[in-house]
Amino acid sequence: MSADRHLRASIALVALFLASGLWLEAMYGLRAEGWIDDPLRREFLRLGHAHGGLLGLVNIALAWALERLATPASWARKIRWAALLGAALVGAGFMLGGLLHGPTDPGPPVLAVPAGAMLLLSSLVATALLKSDDE
Amino acid sequence: MARAWLAPTLLFGPALAWSIAAAAGLAWTATDTAAWADLERHGDPVAGSASCRGCHPQQWQSWHDSWHRTMTQRPETGRVVAAERALVGPVGPVGPVGPAAGSGRQRQAGVLAPFAGEQLDYGGFRATMDRGDDGTPRVVVQRLDDAGDQVVGSPVLDVAVALTVGSHRYQQYVAQLGRAGGDDSELWRLPVAWHRAEQRWIHMNGAFVEPEGEVGSLPDYERHLSRWNDNCVFCHNTEPVPGRSDDWPGFRTRVGELGIACEACHGPASVHLERHLGNPLRRLLASADPGTDGSIANPSTLTPARESEVCGRCHGQRIAKDIAAVMRDGDGFIAGDELASVSRPIFADSTIAGAEGLEHGRPFAARFWPDGTPRLSAYEYQGLLLSPCWDPAGDDGLGCGHCHDMHGATPDGQPRAGRTGEGACVSCHSPDTLGGAQRSGGHGGHGQHVGAVDCLDCHMPRITYGLLEGMVTHRISSPDPAALLGRADQPDACTQCHVDRSRAWAAESMAALNLRSSPVDPSAAQAEERVASRVVLDLIGGDPIQRNLAAHALARPGATGSLEARMAWIAEGLEDEYPSVRWFAWRGLRSLVEQLDVEQVEQQDRRAALLDELQQFDYLGPIDARVEIITRVRALLGPGPLADHPELHEQLAADRWALAIWIGE
Repeated sequence: MSADRHLRASIALVALFLASGLWLEAMYGLRAEGWIDDPLRREFLRLGHAHGGLLGLVNIALAWALERLATPASWARKIRWAALLGAALVGAGFMLGGLLHGPTDPGPPVLAVPAGAMLLLSSLVATALLKSDDE
Repeated sequence: MARAWLAPTLLFGPALAWSIAAAAGLAWTATDTAAWADLERHGDPVAGSASCRGCHPQQWQSWHDSWHRTMTQRPETGRVVAAERALVGPVGPVGPVGPAAGSGRQRQAGVLAPFAGEQLDYGGFRATMDRGDDGTPRVVVQRLDDAGDQVVGSPVLDVAVALTVGSHRYQQYVAQLGRAGGDDSELWRLPVAWHRAEQRWIHMNGAFVEPEGEVGSLPDYERHLSRWNDNCVFCHNTEPVPGRSDDWPGFRTRVGELGIACEACHGPASVHLERHLGNPLRRLLASADPGTDGSIANPSTLTPARESEVCGRCHGQRIAKDIAAVMRDGDGFIAGDELASVSRPIFADSTIAGAEGLEHGRPFAARFWPDGTPRLSAYEYQGLLLSPCWDPAGDDGLGCGHCHDMHGATPDGQPRAGRTGEGACVSCHSPDTLGGAQRSGGHGGHGQHVGAVDCLDCHMPRITYGLLEGMVTHRISSPDPAALLGRADQPDACTQCHVDRSRAWAAESMAALNLRSSPVDPSAAQAEERVASRVVLDLIGGDPIQRNLAAHALARPGATGSLEARMAWIAEGLEDEYPSVRWFAWRGLRSLVEQLDVEQVEQQDRRAALLDELQQFDYLGPIDARVEIITRVRALLGPGPLADHPELHEQLAADRWALAIWIGE
């Protein structure tokens, strides 16, 4: 993935999860059934909204950092993919887990959250450790 | 070459490994038959309500706020329920109390009474409620001298409270008696209780429907010193086991949890916990459809019959199939079982082996009205079984859960949201289909009183006594005063509100309102109804339950008749020989006096004088003191009922001696 594309995709991710906040606020204002009366769903949709938005910002920072640190291109391409995918999985995993939840726990999509977290974490660690002359 | 795979492995490897493991775990869990099978839970241990809280916080909280939870508490661990917090204020009943205040000792949360040295003189004995050196609530009973002023001799009872029972209407106390020859394994209900609404001590003889005992008689004073292990334990605890057997001396009583906790209605949860805590993936795959788990019962998904049996286990007095087995190991019932597999509900004609000769072969008849309707609380299940809304097949009729919600927001009565008043009925009985609904006055002819009269007032009248209260019957029926014309042994729905009217009037009014009714035979009406209302006749000449309920009806909001007339009538109950009748009359009269118009100058002094007299009146106090107050109250209220017919009054009062009964709370 190119640096430009990563930056644009990260901004789009932030926009997407910020927009989901409008949706949640509207459901609160409208006292929507299945939201106002479902604390588990509310909690996980909020988690998805917050994590998706914040991790989108992390991706923007990461896109800038990869350029600033001159991370080797072969690594940078993969880091961008991993970081972007990780942010999307965390946000979407929380949200889908909340939408499809059972009686006491979120639904199986929440299992995507640890996978996304690992992707993002390994991306950040790699960015921090790699030097411009590493191959 | 190594560099080519290093980046993707480090970046994507952990997430990929996790994803593969999670997918495999989900697939394995989904296809593992043991994870989804219905599990046998009979005999399983109780896990305890604390183990439910983590996964079901909302349900746990609504249970925690209920009166069910505080059915039995240890004095040192009990917590006050939400409703009680509302009564005593946001800080709860915690704070320095009485003599203990100086030492900084605080009232224990599970104990509603102060236990700060209060005294209750009753029946020739003085009970003193205080605390031991370690702060444990204590009850000491001593005999009074003939004058009733000083205690004489050593205490006849000196015990430390081990458990509290109840907290809604009144709180009873349980202790080891420690008497010579007594069994350490036995706990006994003490003779005094704390009445929550009145914030006072009462003697248990006053809560039972029975005449008072002889002054100075210890057996009479201790009449309700009942053993907890094989009585109270059953319906005030979760999965109780009395532990009584011929194989060992005394009791080996144990309970799954004190009070009515989660597993009283859902059954033992240990395998449920094992299933869901042992494999978190099982929780992720759990269906959102309640009742599909297989390791726990959810009463809301049972058929109305099975669901109602969960409640009927305690709210419907029963006779065990095998009494010895129940006394040894408990009844073994868990939610979803047929209650009939372990017991049968008590009805008017029920008998028990070995008691065929008792009460003419009908030992339980006094607990029911002549038509078989229960007239005591804790028979709500029987009322439901006798209702036309009940489906004997059990699949499609009315169940407890239609009107009650154990996880709702209202602890008192635990009504389901929207199912109070007419809301209880209209989901099945559309107003459009009810007779008379389309004309002015509406169904039942009470349309002009919308808000004051609803379905329950006529179809579930307050003809049940329990815990010093008049309660709605759970036998749903249509009023038919004509069927009771000429009889004085059972109240009808109409005259419980129309307290100034006769049953003959009610019977004729049914026809006038074009409502279904038995044929009206005016000649069948009792002659005395021409000079007094049905409820007033019940108050003077009914049996003790009728007198309790008559006094209760006279003071109910919405009762017809002038305030003055009702005050003069209800004061008759202050003279009753049954403490419970005096209680209803005293409380009812007080509420009526409080309604006197304080704007009228001439009423102000009278109202204050009456309230002052009633403040001094103790329905459990010595008869001499009561008579003095009654004389002054009567002077302020004017003549009582049937003052113009003293012979009839005397006859009714004399006849009621033949109606004496001895039945429970």
